[in-house]
Amino acid sequence: MRMELVYREISPGRSYLKRAYLSINLWFMGRAIQAAARVDDQVRREFRSLPDKFTFALGIMPEGPHFIVQKSGVDSARYIGRCIDAQPVDLKMEFKHLEAGMLTFTFRENTPVATARDRLVVDGEVAYACSVVRILDIVQIYLLPKLVARLAVKRYPRWPLGRKLINRTRIYWRSLIGY
Amino acid sequence: MLHVPGYYEYCCRVKVVAGHDVLERIPAILERVHATRPMIVTDRGVAGAGLIDVMTEAMGDQVTIGGIEDDVPPDSSIEAVRRIAEAYRNNRCDALIAVGGGSVLDTAKGANIMVSEETDDLMAFSGVGTLKRRLKPLIAIPTTAGTGSETTLVAVIKDHERHQKMPFISYFLLPDAALLDSRMTLTLPPAITAATGMDALTHAVEAYTCLAKNPLSDANAVSAIELIAKHLLPVMKQPEDRDGRLALAVAATLAGMAFSNAMVGMVHNIGHATGAVCGVPHGTCMAILLPYGLEYNQHRNGHLTAELLLPLEGADTYARTPRNQRAQRVIARVREMNQSLHDITQGQHPRCLRETYDRDGNAAVPFERLPDIVAAAKNDPAVFLNPEDLDDEDYRMVLEHAWAGTPLDCTRIKRG
Repeated sequence: MRMELVYREISPGRSYLKRAYLSINLWFMGRAIQAAARVDDQVRREFRSLPDKFTFALGIMPEGPHFIVQKSGVDSARYIGRCIDAQPVDLKMEFKHLEAGMLTFTFRENTPVATARDRLVVDGEVAYACSVVRILDIVQIYLLPKLVARLAVKRYPRWPLGRKLINRTRIYWRSLIGY
Repeated sequence: MLHVPGYYEYCCRVKVVAGHDVLERIPAILERVHATRPMIVTDRGVAGAGLIDVMTEAMGDQVTIGGIEDDVPPDSSIEAVRRIAEAYRNNRCDALIAVGGGSVLDTAKGANIMVSEETDDLMAFSGVGTLKRRLKPLIAIPTTAGTGSETTLVAVIKDHERHQKMPFISYFLLPDAALLDSRMTLTLPPAITAATGMDALTHAVEAYTCLAKNPLSDANAVSAIELIAKHLLPVMKQPEDRDGRLALAVAATLAGMAFSNAMVGMVHNIGHATGAVCGVPHGTCMAILLPYGLEYNQHRNGHLTAELLLPLEGADTYARTPRNQRAQRVIARVREMNQSLHDITQGQHPRCLRETYDRDGNAAVPFERLPDIVAAAKNDPAVFLNPEDLDDEDYRMVLEHAWAGTPLDCTRIKRG
C-alpha cells in the first residue's frame, strides 16, 4: 500500500489571529521608531551613533511579520516596510517562532527575559544591537501605559511630565499619519 | 530556593579530563577527533615557563606537531588570529591545541573560525549564532584557573582599531576536550593566580545572579564558588599545593560551564569596556568590579546573592547570619578576599581601578578616561542579561566608586 494512502499529510495550522496581532504591533512599532527619531533627543542620539543607512529589522521567524527601519540623514529614521527579503539588512532580530513573539508582545516576557530564554536570534553586529534595543525600549515607554511598559522594559524611567505627555502625543500622531 | 525558568537551554559537550597527569592523554584524544598534525597555540609566558616542554614530553613521540605559535599577545587581537590562521594553513595542520590563559584560548578559537570557514574576514562571524557548522578539532589546556574558556561557547577578541572587545558566541566554539592538569598551573605567579581566581568567582556569581540562570548552571556555579572559597587563599599562601591548584582549575571549568549557559551581567559589561579602553587585565577588572555589580543589583537579586553565602562561607556562617544581612555579608566577603589577595601579593592585586598600573608604572585607568569606558560599555551586550538597567549616569556612578574603591551609595541607584 502506498504511504500517502496510509498517512494523511497534516499541514501545520496557521494562527491567523496571532499573526495579525503581531503584524499590527510590528507595523505600528516600526512607524513609531520613525516618529520617535524626529521627536526624542535620546532616540536621535542613538541613531547618530549608528552607521549611515544602517538598516535593522525586528520580526518573527521563519516567515512571520517584520518591520524594517533604516537610518536616514544624521540622526533620523525611516520606516521601510514589512518585507524582510526586499532589501539587505545590517541587523536582524527575530523571535524564533510565533509563540515566542506573542509572549513578548503580550508583555508576559520582557525583551531581556526573552533573550535569557534564547527566544531571540540576533544576526548582525551586537554593538549596534545594543543601540537598537535602547531605541526599542524608549519607543515602548512612549507607546505603552506605565503599568504595561513596566512589564516590557527593565526599568521605567523617571522622565519629566512634559517629555512623556507631549512627546507621546506627537509620536502617536506621527505614527498614525506615517510622518 | 531553586529557580526553574519557564524555558532554558543548557549545553556542555566538552570532554573534561582532570588530574595530576592528564597531558599523557593528548595522543588518545587527538586520535578520537581524527587529528594527526596539531598546531600548538600559546604565548611567550607559557612557553618561557617551560610548559610546552612539559606537554611535548608527556605526549612523547606519538604526535607530529604541525607548528608552535607562541606569540599570542596578552589581549587576543584580530592580527594575532590572522597570523595563526595563516601559519595553520601553511603548515597543513588539522587541529589546534591551545595552551594558555583566556587570550590564548580565545585566539585559538578565532583562528579556528578562520581556518574552518576558509575566510579572512573574522568579524563577519562575530555575534551570536553566525557559525553554522562544525569547526576543526580544538583541545584546550588552560594554564590559568580563571577564564573557563575551555568549556565555553564564547570567544572575546579585541578589535584594537575600534577599542572594542568583539564577542563570538556559538556552540561550535566549544572545544572538543579540556585538559586540566595541575602541572600547568603550578608555576602561575601569585598576582595572576589571584586575578584569575576572582575571574572564575565572578563567572560563577554572575551566572547565579543574572537573568539567564537555570538549575543546571546554578549547580555548576555553586560548586565553583565553594571550591574557590575553600582553595584560593590557601593556594596563594602555598603555591605548590597540587591538589589546591587542581581544585581551582576544576572550579574555573565549572564556572565556565555555568556562565556559558547562563551568561553574565554588568560586571563583565563594565569589565570588558575597562579592558578594551585601558588595557587592564580581565581578571583584575572582575575582581575590582564584582562587589559593585552585586551592590548595584541588590534590590533586584539580593535574595540570590544571599544564597551564595552558603558556598562562600559555609553552613555555620550562613546559619548565624540573619536572612536580611546575607547579601551584604557576601559583598563584604568578596571585598575581604580582594583585601587578602592584595596583602598576600604585596599590593600587586589591586582593590580599585586607581590602583591599576600599566607595564611602565603609569596609572592604567586615569580618572579622565571613565567617560570613554562608559561609551564602550554601552555597546557591550553583556548588559542585556543584567537584572537592572544602566544608563550613562549609572555607569559613571559605578565607575567612580570602583575607581576610588568606595562602596556604592545605594541611595543613588535608580529603581523603576
